[in-house]
Amino acid sequence: MPYDDLRGYLEALDEHGQLLRITEPAAPEPDLAAAATAAARMGPRAPALCFESVTGYAAGRVALNVHGSWANHALALDLPPTTGVREQVAEFSRRWDSFPLPAEHRPGPPFLAHTLLGEDIDLYRVLPLFRLNAHDGGFYVDKAAVVTRDPEDPDHFGKQNVGIYRLQCKGRRRLGIQPGSIHDIARHLRAAEERGQDLPVAVALGNDPVISLVAATPMAYEESEYELAGALRGTPAPLARAPLTGLDVPWGCEVLMEGVIESRVREIEGPFGEFTGHYSGGRRMPVIRIDRISHRTDPIFEHLYLGLPWTEIDYLMGPATCVPLLRQLRAEFPEVVAVNAMYTHGLVAIVSTRSRVGGFARAVGLRLTTTPHGLGYCKVVVVVDENVDPFDLPQVMWALSTKFNPSQDVIHLPGMPVLPLDPSSSPTGISGKIVLDATTPVPPDHRGRHTTAVTDAPRTQEWLTRLTSWAQGPRPSTGAAP
Amino acid sequence: MTCPRCLYDHAETVTAAPEGGAAVWEVRQCPRCWYAWRSTEAPARTSAEHFPAEHRLTPEAIDAAPELPAVPPLLPGVPEPAAAPGEDRGATA
Repeated sequence: MPYDDLRGYLEALDEHGQLLRITEPAAPEPDLAAAATAAARMGPRAPALCFESVTGYAAGRVALNVHGSWANHALALDLPPTTGVREQVAEFSRRWDSFPLPAEHRPGPPFLAHTLLGEDIDLYRVLPLFRLNAHDGGFYVDKAAVVTRDPEDPDHFGKQNVGIYRLQCKGRRRLGIQPGSIHDIARHLRAAEERGQDLPVAVALGNDPVISLVAATPMAYEESEYELAGALRGTPAPLARAPLTGLDVPWGCEVLMEGVIESRVREIEGPFGEFTGHYSGGRRMPVIRIDRISHRTDPIFEHLYLGLPWTEIDYLMGPATCVPLLRQLRAEFPEVVAVNAMYTHGLVAIVSTRSRVGGFARAVGLRLTTTPHGLGYCKVVVVVDENVDPFDLPQVMWALSTKFNPSQDVIHLPGMPVLPLDPSSSPTGISGKIVLDATTPVPPDHRGRHTTAVTDAPRTQEWLTRLTSWAQGPRPSTGAAP
Repeated sequence: MTCPRCLYDHAETVTAAPEGGAAVWEVRQCPRCWYAWRSTEAPARTSAEHFPAEHRLTPEAIDAAPELPAVPPLLPGVPEPAAAPGEDRGATA
């Protein structure tokens, strides 16, 4: 069953042994960030953490690493926790076929239990805020769904944007926000600021796990994240009308902050340890003024540690990045089999494809760099044959080892756009890009000696199934094959 | 109170621990560079003397920092907003 809120998901994680509840008092610094960093190093079955007691708070509850393992990501999609990565990505894509699945508005959102207005707002009292990385410029909120509408077309549901942006706490009711120029929220903000208007905003924190996934998914401008959430859930995403701004927000959120992005205001922000594993800061960014907070009783502060990969954000963004790229490539090139763009939000990506004609694979690689997401990412693209699993890095290394000839299989693109957070970009936001064609050349590209590849023995798959079965249970009394 | 990062002399106490008050911890913030810290953090986070040199900020660096995203020009006919940047212009409608 899909989850309607974070609490339901945490219960499911608990039932599957994927949640650690920590009742001992924890210091805001350095305990919480240290525990989240440690959880990220526990591998593909790492649990979520739920701290129940934070020093200085009567009922401080913090959930960390909620999406931070393949087991948890599978459970977020209501799949068995042992589901493999490639299968999770394929299922994510299969469910996208049901997009758009309209959302439903439900009455009585639980966040209406408590309300704070204007100068009575003190974010620090509502949330046990804490420092994530040592050199962060302050305390951040980095896993909230930020909702805005297009001022030029405010009634268009699909143009309403739901995204996750880093938010620096700048006082009791003030947040710095990073609306990256390539993101939809920057388009909304630009339209508002050209008119000299503030941009109404709702920040929904502590959501059902699919909301976080769709908020991390690069979607087309007019596509609704909520309608993708419905497709992934298999049932409509439950929404509520935000009481101050009228924006559509997740019905089950723990905390809802509403206000405006102040028009034409920029303030120094950061630094903040980013998903690139490096700090970024030293830029003047917009500011949110919070005018109303609504929250559930004893709200859970869902937070995300990010730093040197892999951390929770790599699980959260990984499949969510692969799937739209896969679907965009396949729309024009049905030969594309799979895309693995899980490395730093797709700065490095691997594509497997059948080759229609000589040179086809490199054309596919180039196309990846010109997809909407690829404009800011896909700095290194590796293209492999259809029988190479891009999620199996030893197989990819084999393809690079034997199919790839640096004399002819490198396509270098100078002066391409890349996200400004890429620490290697120079000037900031500009980078070379490279496509490495590690596919087998096909006519009329007659090169190399690739006809001698070794293939599996005829009954290998049958034996793999049999041996796996024996390894997991009692072996038959005779060793003879049936 | 001095900001550990930009050395501004008017850093402020923003809030205190909801349970136990200032005896447990306070959060302090600089209204110039927006650096925030908790009183219970390590000296490298709380004191100007121990703050890492590579992360310090000066007023000149703040003023010279690029905008992200850049503030766009106003559309033709749109008057300059009356309120100064950062000024509280009341609750949203």
